[in-house]
Amino acid sequence: MATISVNHLSFSYPTEDGQKPLTLADLSTTFPSGGFSLLTGPSGSGKSTLMKIISGLYPKFGGLITAGEVCLNGTKISNIPETDRGHLVAMMFQNPNQQFAMDTVERELIFALENQCVPPADMMARVNRALDYVEINELRQRQLNSLSGGEKQKVALAVIIAMQADTILLDEPFASVDPVARQLLLAKLAKLQHEEHKTILISDHDLEDYDHYIDHLFVLNANGDSLKLLSDEAAKQKLDHFKRQDTSNQELGLPATTDQPLIQAHHLTLTAGNSTLLAQPEINFFQHHITLLTGANGTGKSTLLLAISKLHQYAGSLLLNQKEIAKMRTRQLYQQVALIFQDADQQFLNVTVSEELTLSLKNSRTPAYFKERLPEFLTKLHLEDLQDHVVYTLSGGQKKKLQILEMLIMATPVLLLDEPFTGLDFSSLQTIIAIMKQVTHDNQQTLVIVSHQLFGLDTLVDYHVTLTNKRLQYVEELA
Amino acid sequence: MNPSLKFLLAVLIALEISFTSTWLVNLGLAVIGLLIILSSRPTLKRLAMLFFVPLIPALALAVAILLQSNAGTHFALVLFTRIYAYVFVGSAATLTTTVTDLVMSLEQNARIPSKFAYGFLGAFNLLPKIVSEVNVIRAAGNMRGQVLHIWSPQLYFKAILASLDWSENLAEAMTSHGFTEGAPRTYFKRIRIHWWDWLIFAGSLALLQIALFGLHLR
Repeated sequence: MATISVNHLSFSYPTEDGQKPLTLADLSTTFPSGGFSLLTGPSGSGKSTLMKIISGLYPKFGGLITAGEVCLNGTKISNIPETDRGHLVAMMFQNPNQQFAMDTVERELIFALENQCVPPADMMARVNRALDYVEINELRQRQLNSLSGGEKQKVALAVIIAMQADTILLDEPFASVDPVARQLLLAKLAKLQHEEHKTILISDHDLEDYDHYIDHLFVLNANGDSLKLLSDEAAKQKLDHFKRQDTSNQELGLPATTDQPLIQAHHLTLTAGNSTLLAQPEINFFQHHITLLTGANGTGKSTLLLAISKLHQYAGSLLLNQKEIAKMRTRQLYQQVALIFQDADQQFLNVTVSEELTLSLKNSRTPAYFKERLPEFLTKLHLEDLQDHVVYTLSGGQKKKLQILEMLIMATPVLLLDEPFTGLDFSSLQTIIAIMKQVTHDNQQTLVIVSHQLFGLDTLVDYHVTLTNKRLQYVEELA
Repeated sequence: MNPSLKFLLAVLIALEISFTSTWLVNLGLAVIGLLIILSSRPTLKRLAMLFFVPLIPALALAVAILLQSNAGTHFALVLFTRIYAYVFVGSAATLTTTVTDLVMSLEQNARIPSKFAYGFLGAFNLLPKIVSEVNVIRAAGNMRGQVLHIWSPQLYFKAILASLDWSENLAEAMTSHGFTEGAPRTYFKRIRIHWWDWLIFAGSLALLQIALFGLHLR
């Protein structure tokens, strides 16, 4: 067990001209020992920064503590020798792709144990136990690169369990994790807390599913200058407010026989590494319709979008407008198909927000339409004052909004969206869905959306396809 | 054979044949290298590549010597066989060792700082990601009506940005998994240097000297 106390902490990322704007200003609080605490706050408020300071990664890897301190069991973090920190505190990162140093799951676990000087004879037992605990023994020999986002987060948790860290920090760990995997991870964390008395601190802006698990709710405000523990009453209210509308009984239609197929698959097979993700005899996606694609983590939803964008090889046939995608020239294909990547950074080509928007306007299919409406869209999305900002310094949610907007501006006939709504707070989500609806209708676009987050989508999507047991299937229910 | 010693042996052999001109020894080394390569059961494509890729510089060198200098056929033959000896001996070492084993051996036997060993391994594991990242960047460009050619600075700007990001994340990931520069670690897989490793190492070098001198004196 360990108590984390934050005393008058101020933190800054110094700018080039020597200024030190405060990201966190004079924060004080105590995260109770053995508790399950949730830290929330709007995107860009500094949740990740605080987590990294507690884990000891900052200021080693960036920024500057300008005042105050963070203590673990009364000892200042910077005074704890790095070699002992692994036993005390471990962290799971926001981006599942970038938290491993080795190539396979088993080697990563062994690497962590070697670093802790665990005797070699004990290692296998600890690796086995950690993998069993998270129920991922079958991933043991898999290449980390070939795992899905959710699987990677499970591996990251297994590493933390193997390291037997007292305090477990998780920084928005569920952004690319499906609801089933998310429930499993939360249940495992609760078990760790109750049976092994670990202290758990999660940061998230999305509060769904947490009410059964957490003991304390902390709120960091937008400016990063106030960190408060909510009373049980206030916490309950905030959590209830976040309960999503029940999507289970919303009905959509099935495709009509008059619908024009635009993307057609015949005997399509998709593989990742040695495993087959999809074996599909027939499926069509229809012109001028918005189709939602759901399925558990690692089932191959993103891979299907990549295949349609010619960024992943496939076997069988995949046609766009009766033309085989694998045989189309890339430039010709990308005039008709655009993909909104899961990772917003991959979309950006320029440095500042306004440069990004200018490029899209210049090459748009309907520049006049967007020139007229852009100022309104920017205001609605709260991006109007960020025009001079470097895109890579935006917060996760701001990046997502900019990314979706600049790809909508292109007005490509087919738009594929891979988890476009991650990291968006509630009001941004509603705004972006409204804009998408308007734009795609006015420009007669065809959309395929992969999303775990279903809230508000009933008004946007026409059809719903699920991916289970390597098959795609149209269903009537939304959930 | 121990990976570190194997690589040291390959380097020493390559160095030695750079300063000698006995084509029979080169040929012998190439044949031994080829036998070791065959024992690792390479794919036919890889084997074909191993024969054809060195053919271009080997032929170019030999032809240049024959036409442009008066060093004679003997020297052309030496250079031709030397290139094959380099490639086959080098491939014999790399194709029979995994990168992980080599890195672990370098760390444990050659005492290379663990920071370099794991940094190298991390970078190596990133290689396939860099290739796919470049494809993604070009696709992202095309989707915005911006063609990024292989010589476009923008392509490299993005690729370098991504690499910088990855390297920082890799360092943070290693730290959060308990890695500390210079701190003692335990090893799940001990890589030892056995007496027979030394025997093969010394024996191979001795045989090479005998072959070189024998043929030289003849």
